[in-house]
Amino acid sequence: MTSLLVAEWRRMIIDLVRYPLETMSMMVVMLAVFAGMFFGAHYLTAAPIGGTTLSGVVIGYAVWSLVMNATGFMGYSIQNETQNGTLEQVMLAPWRTVQIFLVRGVMDILEMLIPVLLVLVGLVALTGAQFNWRPMALLPVIMIIVTAWGIGLMMAALALLFKRMTQMQLMIQFALLFIIMAPITALHGVTGAALGVLAPLTVQVGVLHAAVGVTVPSVSAGMWWEAVADMALWFGVGYWLLTSADGLARRRGIVGHY
Amino acid sequence: MLMADGLVKRFQSRTNVITAVDGIAIAVAAGEVLAFLGPNGAGKTTTIKMVAGLVRPDQGRVTISNIDVTGRPALAAAHLGAVLEGSRNLYWRLTCLENLIYWGTLRRLTPRAARTRAVELLRLVGLEDRQHNTVQTLSRGMQQKLALCQALMHRPKLLLLDEPTLGLDFASSETIKTTVRDLARDGVAILLTTHQMDVAQQLSDRLAIIRSGKLVLSGTTTAILTQYSKPMWRITTASPLPTDRIAAVRALGWQVEQPSAEAILVTPREDDADGIYQLLDVLRPEPIRLVERHRADLAEVFQQVVEEGANAQ
Ligand SMILES: Nc1ncnc2c1ncn2[C@@H]1O[C@H](COP(=O)(O)OP(=O)(O)O)[C@@H](O)[C@H]1O
Ligand SMILES: [Mg+2]
Repeated sequence: MTSLLVAEWRRMIIDLVRYPLETMSMMVVMLAVFAGMFFGAHYLTAAPIGGTTLSGVVIGYAVWSLVMNATGFMGYSIQNETQNGTLEQVMLAPWRTVQIFLVRGVMDILEMLIPVLLVLVGLVALTGAQFNWRPMALLPVIMIIVTAWGIGLMMAALALLFKRMTQMQLMIQFALLFIIMAPITALHGVTGAALGVLAPLTVQVGVLHAAVGVTVPSVSAGMWWEAVADMALWFGVGYWLLTSADGLARRRGIVGHY
Repeated sequence: MLMADGLVKRFQSRTNVITAVDGIAIAVAAGEVLAFLGPNGAGKTTTIKMVAGLVRPDQGRVTISNIDVTGRPALAAAHLGAVLEGSRNLYWRLTCLENLIYWGTLRRLTPRAARTRAVELLRLVGLEDRQHNTVQTLSRGMQQKLALCQALMHRPKLLLLDEPTLGLDFASSETIKTTVRDLARDGVAILLTTHQMDVAQQLSDRLAIIRSGKLVLSGTTTAILTQYSKPMWRITTASPLPTDRIAAVRALGWQVEQPSAEAILVTPREDDADGIYQLLDVLRPEPIRLVERHRADLAEVFQQVVEEGANAQ
């Protein structure tokens, strides 16, 4: 497994360094968006800079970007490899297809996080702002990313079988946005809990909110378990779907471009 | 090294079922080059992809070094390198060296070992001064040579080449052929497909000709060429032969064709060792420049085999 990680890590770093303009402009845009949200929200609501709500907004934006990448990247990568004629070689490597694309998903998040972290450090240095930072908030963020990878694996499965799926991808991401925004966690009782476990990301986002102190003051043990179950469900289904799509693509002879 | 037996692959299209490969068996030993020939759509690529594990056979089995390709794909893949047709096989935005290091590391070399091997291979195909150029700046021939290096990074025991010299300039094509020969000498088993008969004739130890997914002819290249050679001689002279000489040859019982004024194609009634001396006696003292025995080239064999097959249907 290490050589797979090393290979993909090196490729990611090359990509990051090879196109410094792309990386820089991404950082500038992100800095502008963060700063805009920060000062804009401060101006409009007169909330104190560094206050709970503002941190929530910024974290929300960052997490949303992560979710978009985690759900979209693996499918995008497969589509790209198909068009460029490298998918066959990738699938000839001595790894399972699902392993390779998961590692690529991880590298994609790192490729995104490295500039984001640099921006955040810069922002803090620039404004002297303090984040309402709690280590506990990291856990739900990780769970959110893993769950999003589950959905990403499903999209990768579709990309492997159907090649072109930009439209479908946009639709799925919209549906996701809707699900996350829908107040499912506010539903009480069995229905609420069941929907929370079934709908991707809802519980994790709830846990995140609670952890950063946006909504509920603390996270109950039940909520943690729900979040873990939801994550395992979506990741597991995604993993299984891409593995099956891999087998199906080989049976139909449509690996790469036919 | 490679054993494939009873391979069958059917594809479902919108309207019907195509049997792309219909019961093909092939074996390639270490150090041997097997050329896989067939017209377009005969099932060559499908067979190669089944060997590589990219297409799963409906029936039959493929083993590489006794490892089942379907059952243990990752293990089999470690022994296998491939350059596939119509694919780029390489990352456009990476340099030659970065590409080779990436593909090598992906196949379990350490980055350091991959770099050493990459430099060695780039030197072998004459791309060492291009190592820091991105693939998109290379010519088609250079890309194909780099794709071959890519397939060789992990020193596979079996190399699959799908139309390796298609559309290449002369020099690149020669480099690839030389490399293939050297690899075979070093004990690599090579399975290649091609439309180009001269390439197959120059490189292969054994041939397998397929048509509509079925094997129509296979054997060693030498034996097949001998089998399809005719008991015919071509005699070239410095000046046109007078008609009475040709009549004299006919009188010996030989069949004569005259493709040009200075050459005749002659076939004896019986193919015995003595005949040619009698013929030369008859031609004395005409200025003979060249006497050669007919030797089939692969293009003729191919045409004959494939057309016979088509007529038989
Ligand atoms: N994935 C596929 N789906 C449907 N038909 C296919 C597929 N792959 C190949 N074929 C068909 O199978 C036949 C053999 O194709 P191929 O193996 O590419 O031939 P060759 O490489 O000898 O030119 C062709 O008729 C081709 O159209
Ligand atoms: Mg082909």
